[in-house]
Amino acid sequence: MEKPRHSIRFVEEKCVGCGTCMRACPTKAIRVVHGKARVNDERCIDCGECFRLCPHDAIVSETTSYADLEKFECAIALPSPVLYSQFAPDVLPNQILLALKKIGFEYVADEAWDCELTTNALQEYLDTSEGPFPKISNTCPVVVRLIAMLYPNLVKNLVKLEIPRESAAKKFRQKASKSREIPPEKIGVLHITPCPAKMISINHPVGLEKSNLDGAIPISDIYGRLLEALKNLEEDIVLQLSSGIGIAWAISSGEIMGIRQENCLAVSGVHDVIRVLNDVEAGRLNDIVFLECLICPDGCIGGSLTVQNRHQARRKVRRLVKMFGEHTRVSREMALRLYRGGYFNLQAEILPNPLPPLDSDPGKAIQKLKQRDKILMTLPGKNCSACGAPDCRTLAEDVVLGQASIDDCVFLTLEKLKRTA
Amino acid sequence: MAADNTFIQEYSIKGWDFTRAGEASCEIKNILKQIGVSQDVIRRVAIASYEAEMNVVMYARQGTMRCEIDTTKIKITIEDEGPGIADIDQAMQEGFSTATPEMREMGFGAGMGLPNIKRNSDGCEVTSVVGKGTKVAMSFNL
Repeated sequence: MEKPRHSIRFVEEKCVGCGTCMRACPTKAIRVVHGKARVNDERCIDCGECFRLCPHDAIVSETTSYADLEKFECAIALPSPVLYSQFAPDVLPNQILLALKKIGFEYVADEAWDCELTTNALQEYLDTSEGPFPKISNTCPVVVRLIAMLYPNLVKNLVKLEIPRESAAKKFRQKASKSREIPPEKIGVLHITPCPAKMISINHPVGLEKSNLDGAIPISDIYGRLLEALKNLEEDIVLQLSSGIGIAWAISSGEIMGIRQENCLAVSGVHDVIRVLNDVEAGRLNDIVFLECLICPDGCIGGSLTVQNRHQARRKVRRLVKMFGEHTRVSREMALRLYRGGYFNLQAEILPNPLPPLDSDPGKAIQKLKQRDKILMTLPGKNCSACGAPDCRTLAEDVVLGQASIDDCVFLTLEKLKRTA
Repeated sequence: MAADNTFIQEYSIKGWDFTRAGEASCEIKNILKQIGVSQDVIRRVAIASYEAEMNVVMYARQGTMRCEIDTTKIKITIEDEGPGIADIDQAMQEGFSTATPEMREMGFGAGMGLPNIKRNSDGCEVTSVVGKGTKVAMSFNL
């Protein structure tokens, strides 16, 4: 079976065509056709805004379920550092990792440590990079897709380092395969994820031939089980290796925390990310060395598959950072050796994937633009979205492209009816 | 330019309106993407038109940005009602700026505005009358 092209799916039976998702979509990928929401696969970047807002639970995430654990002879959990922020103040990362072990993962790896390792590599990368600046973080799969689609000029600004969850997955699969003496493919490496977009980066990776992960289980899916397991942990071994530097990756500006450079900027939330990318494209931010862009508000703790409200979660992260310190526990020499040895090298190039113009012939595209503006003048400009497009301008564009009719506008149709009555 | 094959759009820019500053050049950039102009030209237009727009926002009372696109050329003309430039040659030099400390605090006024426009466009003409206003006409070949 072909893997789903996106990490979210619309359930037609539940959709009432209210258009809440359509109006929230930052890339205008959704239309309401015959009373049901439809997604244009080409335009969707998997940001999850629609998933977050749907009042009818008609959008579901295409993530891995806990039951899939059984498919593997040996399962490894690779929890996003966000997981540490989801529990009561006195619950510490090591306990959470032990709880993961208790609910059925044979090996549990502290991904935050790998984040910390990547911070060290990033420092070296920025120190030796010749530009173009700002370098833009590539950890959020939605940001990478957004840039490839709407800012193809900025693809060359993306950091070219393998992201922590991928490099960690590769390493732990090898380790487990050796110690368990089973072939690597019998091992399931599963990311515990705060957002559905991680799934699309597993099914259709960018910068990789094939993902090193076998799936992503939502934090919200296993949260109840973890709470149960936390009640009586029998084992007592040290699984947490990370300091505050790795744990901080859960929040906006976390990737910057461990970096020496002063000229760094952290931006989160889809609209602010779009705004800052416009600034970068206009040459406004050339003095910034590193730009961390995360699509969810406040960073990964704002992911739609988390359980704790993000403000509480941020408080917890800050507490943990204080507790475990801002001094990396990763040996700088080791990080440098790995960096120079190609451990962080991307296996495939990230390619621009711009949206197609209105017409492949520029002359015709200009004509269509003029036509669009002409149609737009006749529309009421109320952006009511009752036509099935998010706003008047998009309807005008759809009409020009032959994908909608001007009669879809309820105001124009009403006027027409009044005239003929 | 034959009128019917040319896409024309005009934007008004208000002096000191920093909240909306940059919107016009961003709009132009989006139009170019919809026409399918090459990424390199889009990048250069984005930088040059933004600089010109910001010059109006920072120094002038008001202005207009007119954009004409056909299949061979993009012409962007920015005209403002403002103080004008006494010595254009000087203003074209990198690092020369008359920005106030407040503007510099906001990250503007590095004296790269006009030089940046010149560097990124294929043709750039600046005319000005002191006390009346400035006109910047830039073009990009397609």
